[in-house]
Amino acid sequence: MLEGLYSAAAGMSAQQEQLDAIGNDLANASTTGYRSERVAFSDLLYNAVDIAGTETSAGAGASAQVVGRSQSQGSVRETGNPLNLAIEGEGYFQVKSASGQVGLTRDGDFGVDGSGNIVSAEGSQLVPPIKLPAGVSPGEVKIAPDGTVTAGKRTLGQIKLVSVASPDHLLAYGVGVLTPTAASGEPQATSGAKIHQGALEESNVDISKEMALMVSTQRAYQMSSSAIQTESQMMSIANQLRPS
Amino acid sequence: MRHGLPKESPSAADHLGDMDLGLYVAASGMVAEQVRQDQLSNDLANASTPGYKPDESTQHSFGDVLLANTSGGPDVGSIDAGVALGKTYTNMTPGTMQETGEPLDFAISGSGFFAVKTAQGVRYTRDGQFTTSAQGVLTDTNGDPVLDQSGAEVKVGAKGQVSPGALGLFEVPGAVKQGENLYAGTSSGKPSGSVRQGALEGSGVDAAKIMVEMITSLRSFQSGQQAIQSIGQTLQEAASQVGSLNAGGG
Repeated sequence: MLEGLYSAAAGMSAQQEQLDAIGNDLANASTTGYRSERVAFSDLLYNAVDIAGTETSAGAGASAQVVGRSQSQGSVRETGNPLNLAIEGEGYFQVKSASGQVGLTRDGDFGVDGSGNIVSAEGSQLVPPIKLPAGVSPGEVKIAPDGTVTAGKRTLGQIKLVSVASPDHLLAYGVGVLTPTAASGEPQATSGAKIHQGALEESNVDISKEMALMVSTQRAYQMSSSAIQTESQMMSIANQLRPS
Repeated sequence: MRHGLPKESPSAADHLGDMDLGLYVAASGMVAEQVRQDQLSNDLANASTPGYKPDESTQHSFGDVLLANTSGGPDVGSIDAGVALGKTYTNMTPGTMQETGEPLDFAISGSGFFAVKTAQGVRYTRDGQFTTSAQGVLTDTNGDPVLDQSGAEVKVGAKGQVSPGALGLFEVPGAVKQGENLYAGTSSGKPSGSVRQGALEGSGVDAAKIMVEMITSLRSFQSGQQAIQSIGQTLQEAASQVGSLNAGGG
């Protein structure tokens, strides 16, 4: 009968995983380009039970893990800053950090560094890099929906959006940048998405949905906890059996 | 078929007195409740598992065993001792739909299963929370490819989209749970369900019902314990007082 104790405990830790994801999502409810986490629950192995004429099976509980991110579009907020870019559709900006690490991001809060390069909020350059010539101020830069960057009549380059075969397997390492992995596939040029100049994509976290999920998760956690109590009570009853 | 103790062993009634038989009946009832409690704990643990189907067990009460033996069976006198959990069956009633809006979340409305190709062979699932592999193939969250109606892998389009019609839907009579949201079985016949995109099928666990069943089971377990206590006391009196010169205060 100890199996039930462990399966209830496994259920509690699965709900804990979901609560952690909710906590992370809520903390990032205002993070530009953030996408909420997708949590997958599954049941565990079933053990055959064959005891005192009862021949059946009992499951070993549940497990949960983050399996990727929501792909829904965050709302686009106008900022008026000419180097704020929002992606409408599927795709990522490709950036390269000072240490040479290439990453993907939907956070289009760009600026200009000391040498005129367009860089992300963390100072990572775009891939391929785009540099404003001396004397061109960010206010004169026009970025077309296809990513072509112009200043007056001069074309300065094109911001190329990329995507991967499996966005769920991109590795997040903080600061809003995702790293391609073997499981996600290499970044490929993508078409169809549009760049919106002067706007940012807000976090796609839906707070009311997260709150509702938090309540149901807490209740499910509580129920597994009362299953543990009941199992414990049964053991205590069995323990009271003694020769009279 | 699960009436009491296994048939191979001699019936408890053959060599035990009625009193001892009662002990065995009560003890087997307690064991059955323990197993039922384990199943209920598992159901509650899966209150959030998409497409999960709860286990239901019938219990053969002592009275059922008696009835089973009077209706065309051997005489009531030769029953086996005990109570056992009857066959466990999985309640396949479709769960509620939960809208997620995710392009790779699918739910089956009505009957049927999705098929995935695992290392152990084709398995079936009602959990449509899918993802993509680096090769652009639709997979379940364990990385096993999802199959279309002809048994081929499903390709994900360039925009990360899959049309719900591309997914195979199979009827699997008597599907057996394997864990990891998978079922084993052989597909046959045509399912009545249809695939919906952007939604997941909620767990079929009715929490209130399971909590009530948990309390009922706990109390039955307790009655079993008390029956054993009483029979134990009676036996103790029989052993120590019957035949004693002072028995009955005489």
